[in-house]
Amino acid sequence: MLRLIVRRILLMLAIALAVSALLFFTVTRLLGSPAEMMLGQDASPLAIARLNAQYGFDRPAVIQYLHWLGGALTGDLGRSYTTQQSVAAAIAARVPVTLELSLWSVALAVTAAVVSNTIPAMRRPLQGVVTAVNLVGITVPNFMLGVSLIFILSVKLNLLPSTGWVPWSNGIGAHLRHMIMPVLTLSAYYFGAFSIVYRAEYQAVIQRPFIQVARAKGLGEWRVAFRHAAPNAILPVITFVGISIGQLTGGAVVTETIFSMPGMGRLFVSSIESRDFPVMLAVGMLIVVGVVFANLLADIGYGIVNPQIRDPS
Amino acid sequence: MNGREETVRTSLIGRRHLMMGVTGGVLAAGTARAQSPSRGGTLTVGLSNDANTYDPIFSVQYTERYVLYLAFDTLVKYGPDFSILPELATSWETSADGKRIVFTLQQGVKFQDGTPFDAAAVKWNIDQRLDPAVNSPQRQVLAPIIASVEAIDPRHVAFNLVAPSPVLFSLLGERPGFMVSPEAWKKRGPTFGSQPVGTGAFVLKEWTRGSRVVLERNPNYWQPGLPYLDRIVVQDLAGSIIGVQRLITGEIDYVDQLTPSDILPIERRGDILLKPIKVGRWYFLQWHVNEPPFDNPKLRQAFAHAIDRDRLNEITMRGQGTVSNGPTPRGLWWYDPDLKFYPHDPARAKALLAEAGHPNGFEYVLSTPQVTVFQQINQLLQEQLGAVGIKLTLQPVAASEWYARVVSGATNLTPTRWTQRADPDGLLYILFDSEGFANTMKYRNDQVDALLGRARTVYDMAERKKLYAEAQQQIVNDLPMVPLIFGAEYAAMRDAVHGFEWIPDEIPRFRGLWKTAA
Amino acid sequence: MRRPGCWIGVSLVTFVAAVAVAAPALAPQNPYASGVDMLALPSAAHWLGTDDLGRDVLSRVIYGARASLPIGLGGALVATAIGVPIGLIAGTLRGATDVALAALIDLFIALPGLVLALIITVMVGANLRNLILVLGFVMWPPVARLVRGQALALREALFVEAARAMGGKPLWIIWRHIWPGVLPVVAAQFSISVSFAIFTSASLSFLGLGIPPPAADWGGMVRAGYDYLAINPWFSLAPGAAVSLAVMAFYIIGRSFR
Repeated sequence: MLRLIVRRILLMLAIALAVSALLFFTVTRLLGSPAEMMLGQDASPLAIARLNAQYGFDRPAVIQYLHWLGGALTGDLGRSYTTQQSVAAAIAARVPVTLELSLWSVALAVTAAVVSNTIPAMRRPLQGVVTAVNLVGITVPNFMLGVSLIFILSVKLNLLPSTGWVPWSNGIGAHLRHMIMPVLTLSAYYFGAFSIVYRAEYQAVIQRPFIQVARAKGLGEWRVAFRHAAPNAILPVITFVGISIGQLTGGAVVTETIFSMPGMGRLFVSSIESRDFPVMLAVGMLIVVGVVFANLLADIGYGIVNPQIRDPS
Repeated sequence: MNGREETVRTSLIGRRHLMMGVTGGVLAAGTARAQSPSRGGTLTVGLSNDANTYDPIFSVQYTERYVLYLAFDTLVKYGPDFSILPELATSWETSADGKRIVFTLQQGVKFQDGTPFDAAAVKWNIDQRLDPAVNSPQRQVLAPIIASVEAIDPRHVAFNLVAPSPVLFSLLGERPGFMVSPEAWKKRGPTFGSQPVGTGAFVLKEWTRGSRVVLERNPNYWQPGLPYLDRIVVQDLAGSIIGVQRLITGEIDYVDQLTPSDILPIERRGDILLKPIKVGRWYFLQWHVNEPPFDNPKLRQAFAHAIDRDRLNEITMRGQGTVSNGPTPRGLWWYDPDLKFYPHDPARAKALLAEAGHPNGFEYVLSTPQVTVFQQINQLLQEQLGAVGIKLTLQPVAASEWYARVVSGATNLTPTRWTQRADPDGLLYILFDSEGFANTMKYRNDQVDALLGRARTVYDMAERKKLYAEAQQQIVNDLPMVPLIFGAEYAAMRDAVHGFEWIPDEIPRFRGLWKTAA
Repeated sequence: MRRPGCWIGVSLVTFVAAVAVAAPALAPQNPYASGVDMLALPSAAHWLGTDDLGRDVLSRVIYGARASLPIGLGGALVATAIGVPIGLIAGTLRGATDVALAALIDLFIALPGLVLALIITVMVGANLRNLILVLGFVMWPPVARLVRGQALALREALFVEAARAMGGKPLWIIWRHIWPGVLPVVAAQFSISVSFAIFTSASLSFLGLGIPPPAADWGGMVRAGYDYLAINPWFSLAPGAAVSLAVMAFYIIGRSFR
């Protein structure tokens, strides 16, 4: 177990270094001087030269990289080219938004998947509906879902606002109202995916002897389903959540863009669009490292919970 | 306000009244409302804010000026046709040789920190901008013009110029003209950019980057009666569509930089006012005119005849822009109505293409910045030029990278756009003079250089206008670029907002606005 | 394999493919021809209205299939071409090779696909070839993992033991015995990969990294039309529905194989 953890941590560090170096060198070569970018169309050659010297853009790439790395290790990720803000501060402000969106979405997806597939004695047609909704969730791209929701609920019916974020300080009600559509959009895919995993496991669990015993004891169907079968069937879903974290960041990127939420995903996309290199580098790395780390945690957690699976092969 | 204009007009000496078009009627228009202004209220402005600093000495970003014009005043200000009007300077006198200008300053003006505004403060402001140690981006523009500044007495300050320079007045209406409190600047050092102190109608109270800027009324503002508003809040916006939505719901009172498509949802609403800008940005197609393939005049003319600019205007601006024959739009005092240009004539374009040595067509790459209006224009250009045998491939380029590549010369054929400047020299020189720093077309015509050089040292407006007309016609004949359109842009505001008028630099002036109870 | 889902999937895929192939005949107008009637609502001339340059939305959606299908198929092919060999080798050979490859696969599976695709596409530029390669690069891990799992299972099967006991070389064993068992899984996963590739490339286009204009590209159209939802919603919703249909079609086939 310890070997697994150590190996994974080393891997994680190796990735972090490799990805950062790769990004850094490729982009600096492709980019040229960021000074013009920062100053815009009005820049005079003198101003550009001055900025280049000030930021050290005229130094060799390796020196710049080491400089950046040194800073990163002490928490200084540099300054954004477009806003001059500290990158670390910009990220710190954005992380809670993405976290909140992701947590709500996962919670909704898991709850909906479990509940809708556990309800006992479901009639065939109803099951069909759930299956259809699952299918739609998995196949309709989240940007299409988001745009459609905006069109129906915001543009046509004027029920919900079309942007996804107001701070908590504006009131819980307003905050939650703005979150409804983004959460629906992001959770749709996972509702479908979790349903598939859960349903398969549930079918297996429901055949097991202890369920028969419970039924024989005279317990009601609902109790059997929710108190006995569900908790056992939920395990693979939890694992699946861990595996999905990677994809979830992709989904969050698109969702945050559609609903203009000030989260990490949108920061990443806008840094790409504006070639804001320090931000792009820091966020890209953070996402990659974060996902690998989350997977590591999920693996460890699963390993602890289910001793049979400790052998990684 | 009107009283001071009278003072200027009646005490003119020498060449002053020929120099700048002081059109008193202009000011009257802004205040001629059926109702009198009501005091109080908060104006919420939506803006995609890219501000880095509100220190005018170092300001570079476009949107910073939205707030600069609130917290600071300039020595002179612009009228709606870019004519120069008094502000902190009530009047000015030019010497006979044109190399010394004495400004008479407004009396009784204090900075927001209580220190007095006087000639010494003006001198300090200009000296800072000229000082190499301070390293202001404005030094490059001011140093060739201003030799020195003298404070004659607290009310009079003299500018000693290197050569006669009418351009100075337009410069003193924007960034170089914002008067900063010397005391506060010295005391606050680098934090001055977040806590600026000027003589303006509003004091900056709070700035949360990425979120909002809050300004409150300056109770000691020197213009009596102003400002009417209590507060102005500049809210950060992710984009103009969101701005329009928030305007509809009433979350914000004002949003601008709207294209004709952006305003479709609000065109018919009775509770929203639309103010089109009368003088739009200039869009043109440019290339490297000094090297193949575009050094061939017939090829350039083929392009010019092939492009249907009316259609560009119809589709990208919904017909609300204007077709451009040259750099200057109608509405600016140096506009030339007689400028001759190449009419839309596809047959002629094809013939010219063959004469240029490309009988079987011509292929090239057109750089396409990822900005909606450029993408639209380029697709239309591709279609129109394709019809005469010119096959263009659209090459997408990130918006932030695009201009850097134009400047470095990596990009040859590209559309571009420029906001109008207060002085004709502003745009024409930097774009078309062989020394101009924005001359990415590598254009060089000694005649044009001579005309532009002369026009920037002459104070007589009529003469300048003639010189610029000649220069512009020559430029258009040479085709270092193909002018396309002047864009249409809108500001939209709730009907409770009154007193708004556009200045052609496309920066809104909120100082004189008032709100009625909605 | 003969479940009804399979037939639905096949008919949908055939429909989408037919549209892509027959686009010039099907599209009522030239998808690249601008018009002065911008953002018009559906009418007899334009069944889905027009876009911001006055072009016919229906024609552009039809032509969009011509961009999306090749990218989807190409990406899935590349993913399969990379993933299958890696998975086979990892699953068939024992020892250090397997452990190393398994770790590699696990590592890459964890990486966020869309984020990686974004970063790489930004750096290399978005054109047909690059997009196919990037998608293939992002999608190979699940293919490899699946193939490896299947190969592992088969490896333990008795007949393989027998073949090995008889002294058969690894490559021959793979070809004769393991590959036929793995093939159905590969085929199913291929379809799922196509579905995922169309989905991801549309997302990339939506974020501004798709095939450049004036190409009719579904994701790009959804993005461009987003600003005009209140004026002509079909500009955005029609291409979005097209993407969903294509993704669904391939996904259904893939799932019904399992």
